[in-house]
Amino acid sequence: MTTMMNRPASAPGDASGRKPLIERLNIVTALVVGTVSAIVIWQLALHFLPQDAETASFFNREDKISLMSLIAWFVGFMTGIGALIGPFRWAFGKDLNHDENMFLAGKDQGIKRYFRYTTDHKVVGIQYLVITIIILFVGGTLAMLIRTNLGHPQGGWIHPQAYNAIVGWHGIIMIVATIIMITGPFGNFIMPIMIGARDMAFPRLNALSFWLIVAAIPPVFISFFTGGITTGWSAYNPLASQAGLGMNGYIAFICIFAISTMVAGANITTTVVKMRAKGMTWNRTPIFIYGVVASVALALPAFPVFFLSQIMSAMDRAFATSFYNSAAGGSGWLYENLFWIMGHPEVYVILIPSVAALMEMAPVFTRRPLFSFNLAIMGIAGISGLSVLVWAHHMYISGWAPLLNAPFMLTTELISIPTGMLFLVLIGTLWRGRLWMTMPLMSIFALLWNFMIGGITGIYLSDVPADAFLHGSMYVTAHFHYTLMGAGLTGALASLVYWFPKMTGRMFDKTLSWVSFWLVQIGFNVAFIGMFLVGLAGQPRRVESYASIFNKGNLITTMGAYTIMAGMLVLLHGVISSWRNGVKAPMNPWQAKTLEWTVANPVPLENFETLPVITSDPYGYGKAQS
Amino acid sequence: MSELHTSNKAQWWKSADVKKTAILWVILTPIIGYVGTVVQLRSIGAPASEVMASVKSLMGIFTWAAAPVAGLVAALAVTALLGDRHYGDNPPEEADHEIRNSPRAAATWVIVSTLLCLFALITGLIVLQKDAKSLLDAKAININVTGQQWVWNFDYPESDGVRSEVLYLPVNKPVVFHITSKDVKHSFWVVQMGIKMDANPGYVTETAVTPDKIGVFDIRCAELCGLLHAYMQNKVHVVSQADYDSWLKTRAALEGAA
Repeated sequence: MTTMMNRPASAPGDASGRKPLIERLNIVTALVVGTVSAIVIWQLALHFLPQDAETASFFNREDKISLMSLIAWFVGFMTGIGALIGPFRWAFGKDLNHDENMFLAGKDQGIKRYFRYTTDHKVVGIQYLVITIIILFVGGTLAMLIRTNLGHPQGGWIHPQAYNAIVGWHGIIMIVATIIMITGPFGNFIMPIMIGARDMAFPRLNALSFWLIVAAIPPVFISFFTGGITTGWSAYNPLASQAGLGMNGYIAFICIFAISTMVAGANITTTVVKMRAKGMTWNRTPIFIYGVVASVALALPAFPVFFLSQIMSAMDRAFATSFYNSAAGGSGWLYENLFWIMGHPEVYVILIPSVAALMEMAPVFTRRPLFSFNLAIMGIAGISGLSVLVWAHHMYISGWAPLLNAPFMLTTELISIPTGMLFLVLIGTLWRGRLWMTMPLMSIFALLWNFMIGGITGIYLSDVPADAFLHGSMYVTAHFHYTLMGAGLTGALASLVYWFPKMTGRMFDKTLSWVSFWLVQIGFNVAFIGMFLVGLAGQPRRVESYASIFNKGNLITTMGAYTIMAGMLVLLHGVISSWRNGVKAPMNPWQAKTLEWTVANPVPLENFETLPVITSDPYGYGKAQS
Repeated sequence: MSELHTSNKAQWWKSADVKKTAILWVILTPIIGYVGTVVQLRSIGAPASEVMASVKSLMGIFTWAAAPVAGLVAALAVTALLGDRHYGDNPPEEADHEIRNSPRAAATWVIVSTLLCLFALITGLIVLQKDAKSLLDAKAININVTGQQWVWNFDYPESDGVRSEVLYLPVNKPVVFHITSKDVKHSFWVVQMGIKMDANPGYVTETAVTPDKIGVFDIRCAELCGLLHAYMQNKVHVVSQADYDSWLKTRAALEGAA
């Protein structure tokens, strides 16, 4: 089924000369149908939903209306983008034919395919890359607002309500951006080629998982103008049930995003298990694939819990149920448990693919085999397994279950053992390598540095008595930025530079990659070491003003943050300029040995003319002295 | 895999890069330990209770225990970085070896990290045990702490219903706090005493401390609790027993008058 095209799919499909429905849907129709549905439901609800009784203990008519409008937006958007065409055509016994499937795969459509429900994994990968950049840009802007406000003691120029909303917004969208930043762009574009497949196992689910994220974003943006997410990204109840209508946007966002993650997880896992090239045994499967699978497989148990916790939150708000309302028999601790059962695996969802991507690059840029491949797998598996058993270390001082503190301290500290294995693999690969000084290689050093600080501070926090002092302080904020940004984002930026040639056909500008690397890394360390210090001195998290003893540390952090911003803007400029008129990339610019470098630029629609057969692992660098 | 290789392996410590790493390790470990400890402990400031003193010593111990590991990773990284570097648009030649693993290094690494992990756990458990015991002190003063948006209230149930927004404590006397909230979740943090416990609506949680220094210290809310979370802070005055008694008396008189 290679290139058997009888007629272009865009030719008039019927006598009337109108294009068939499948070809008329795109992002514009999606936005229109979504917006119209939301407005229609909003107006209908305004007219027909009864007023709250004067005597009701909770007023929730507004919550019902806003949740219904958000659901209408979601259903309308997904209908308008064409997500329902496939399932309905199949259900009615008129499944898509070959030409229509080829149309969906985006054949011969140029730029338009990026704005449609396109199933080609390479298109989805690029879509994910662009949306990740957009979310990081917005989240970064919000971070700068926070830091600017905190640069000046007592004189915060942002109203506390707006400040809290900015903190919550920054938190949640950065979490989403970092979750998708590796498995989205590179997991979709690179992973199938790397395992020698022609596409994902379920191409339509792949398109679905991307467009769900697009559908999820407007609710979180709108929430900013309807009261904001004033609860921080964790949205603890009962604070969340007290917050304004903006919380409904958060709830809708999380629910839609959770579905996207589950869909992507099922799809990626199936693809890797079932579609690896002939001969690609588990011992010959690249380590990056393990990282991606561990990440999405961890999301599979975690995100349904997140979804559930938000559904219960929505019910508390709209129907006055009492899952989290202790006055009526519920418990805020229930929310905390559900949240962190998702929340801790989630940080490894972010971290593991990043480390795995750098492990994939390490042999390429040191020209020697990956050190201890098996220990790398053991480390990834160990972290994944333990990460679902540690959630209550976020609740040591909640008073929920003091007797469980010791066991959770044990499981948390055990994670340092598999994490140490990942360190050994990276450091072992650098040992006696021939270092090719590129931005991805230096990113390995940066990760070792940042992740070492993030990891050791994590040990203090895992210790119950020390945590009783550090919990809820800026120390925690600095710690998780060291792991998620210092380690996670560093790996993602290296991946961007490394796979840019395959994804865009052009080399990433070398100078810009270096300039941005140093600005980001130096700025990052300045910013967050300053934040550690104010945390130790006793500054709580999520405050919009602080005592004067914290002035100096906050000023240092703000200056570091501006340096990071400069670095990220240089990087953004690099992405745009290199994509538009960078040097054309050869097929294998890094002389790497994984499969994605064996296909031409641009990558053909079905990747491989004939599927490859694998006879060894991709780390056969180096030669023994004779 | 030749004989040459095995003989190299037998005297691996003699090669130049191993020596360089060892020297760097010896230099870097005390630097990391010293800087890490001094910078962190100085930022924390002087402790006002034994609990805080043990938090500080725990952090010092952990920093020194982590220093050799961080030092080794740093030494290996620096050795690699000082070694065989190549610039340019084309990759250097492939390395002259194909070492894929080293069972001995891997096993040592895993065993050492397991031991360090156990060490951290045991040290933590010892302190935790001590903190837990102080909750059961029968001679302790009981104080009810109530958080609400955005103030703290302190009730002294053993002293004729005295209530205050500022906390007064006698020095060197154990105190048990019974903490709850009227609205949303707050977190009761007495910074210099190293204790923190969440205030949950509908539940009472407990924490205990014995202040051992006379002075004025900070109470801050450590859990985002809405609009004015940043301003939900107050002071704790640790005073002598005599001052404490007279303060209680004036407060009780004030309450009676009102």
